[in-house]
Amino acid sequence: MISVTPKNLSEHNVKLDLNNLSPEQVALEIKNLDLYYGNKQALQNISMSIPKGQVTAFIGPSGCGKSTLLRCINRMNDLVDTCKIEGQINLHGENIYDRHTDVAALRRKVGMVFQRPNPFPKSIYENVVYGLRITGENNRRVLDEAVENALRSAALWNEVKDRLHESALGLSGGQQQRLVIARAIAIKPEVLLLDEPTSALDPISTLTIEELINDLKKQFTVVIVTHNMQQAARVSDQTAFMYMGDLIEYSDTNTLFTTPLKKKTEDYITGRYG
Amino acid sequence: MDNLNIGRHISGQFNEDLERIINHVMHMGGLVEKQLTDALTSVCDADEELAKKVLENDYQINNAEVSIDDECTRIIAKRQPAAGDLRLVMAIVKTITDLERIGDEAGKIANVTLESLSGKHKDLLSNLDNLGRHVLTFLQSTLDAFTRMDFDAAIKVHKSDDKIDREYEALMRQLMTYMMEDPRSIPQVMSVIWSARALERIGDRCQNICEYIIYFVKGRDVRHTTPEDFQSLS
Repeated sequence: MISVTPKNLSEHNVKLDLNNLSPEQVALEIKNLDLYYGNKQALQNISMSIPKGQVTAFIGPSGCGKSTLLRCINRMNDLVDTCKIEGQINLHGENIYDRHTDVAALRRKVGMVFQRPNPFPKSIYENVVYGLRITGENNRRVLDEAVENALRSAALWNEVKDRLHESALGLSGGQQQRLVIARAIAIKPEVLLLDEPTSALDPISTLTIEELINDLKKQFTVVIVTHNMQQAARVSDQTAFMYMGDLIEYSDTNTLFTTPLKKKTEDYITGRYG
Repeated sequence: MDNLNIGRHISGQFNEDLERIINHVMHMGGLVEKQLTDALTSVCDADEELAKKVLENDYQINNAEVSIDDECTRIIAKRQPAAGDLRLVMAIVKTITDLERIGDEAGKIANVTLESLSGKHKDLLSNLDNLGRHVLTFLQSTLDAFTRMDFDAAIKVHKSDDKIDREYEALMRQLMTYMMEDPRSIPQVMSVIWSARALERIGDRCQNICEYIIYFVKGRDVRHTTPEDFQSLS
């Protein structure tokens, strides 16, 4: 019989002090980040520390800047001509917006998965090894091992192990999304960014991905943007609520969903008029 | 009900569901209050008919508890409430358990009326009546604080349970004396003790409800905390 003593209960509720993380606990540090699309300011003075080996969720209404902030973390916004960014995002204490940053190397460290699964029109196997091949890895044994590890980590191995050389486009939506996650983790990134990874999936596939996220945080730092508040509550350790480009509240998920400090947060998560 | 801030959900149906549950809790509170009033009156007036009525009516409180529990379960399943809404539903689920137990305690008091007490011990009952009036006021203040979800009132009511505890202890000492003086009175005195105990327990249950009000308003769980922790809230 499991004994649930008050001590056990309190141990279960251990939470990080997000304002006082030690350097070893921090995966990413965002400092005074401002972002403009042309003249319009989309992010205003965002500062937050994202802890290592945990799941951090960004929530907020459409247009609040949560996806924009997520895309800043692997410099996806560089692809938008009118985008201007001020401030810093530090990965291991180094500003990723430094002039000398190698963006391709950065994106190997910070993988990303999008809303709609986007497998390449290649075999399942080739999808997973794509990143490794780009880095020059062609040793068959290394690639085979990487495919198995990545597909196992993405909870897809058992479903596809007998058809690795069939087209990835033949997989279901949920499987394709897990394949894309396998592709992202095959190159062993440090941070995995998930931009509404389950919004195009059915509830069962969604639960599979959520279960997967819980497993992935043992190896990676996961940052997820989601419109589904219950999903943020289920999968994340920390949640940041954003509204109109501002970071309104950032705290551990248990606190944010039971006793939020700010009225705007309370109104949003309880579905009230703002 | 405005303090509860439940009228602003985007979903009108959710507003209605929450309002309906709160109205049910208030109705249940009213039933419990009436049961306690009747139980005390039956003791005071030796009104056996009224005492029987109290025992018969207990089913209404039990039914209310089951029905509100059911509504809360449905809200959790369908709406997945968060933050203040979640705390409200949790506070309600716990409050109705305590209300139902208060109903049971009222039944125990009514039972005393049905036991024949000799004239010699009637003054024992007048002491019980005094304690009963105080507990009834305590219950009314608790229900009032719950209706308005009034944090300050909850703190005030919570603190005043000490008075009831002191009164209970004094009554116990008096009853002990009776028993020592005349051991033949022990069966009758025991039934008065059970009633006094029931009243004291009602005080504790009201204190619990005040703690749920504080949990809803402030998000702080003050159960099993020291008086010093409690002091720091106000």
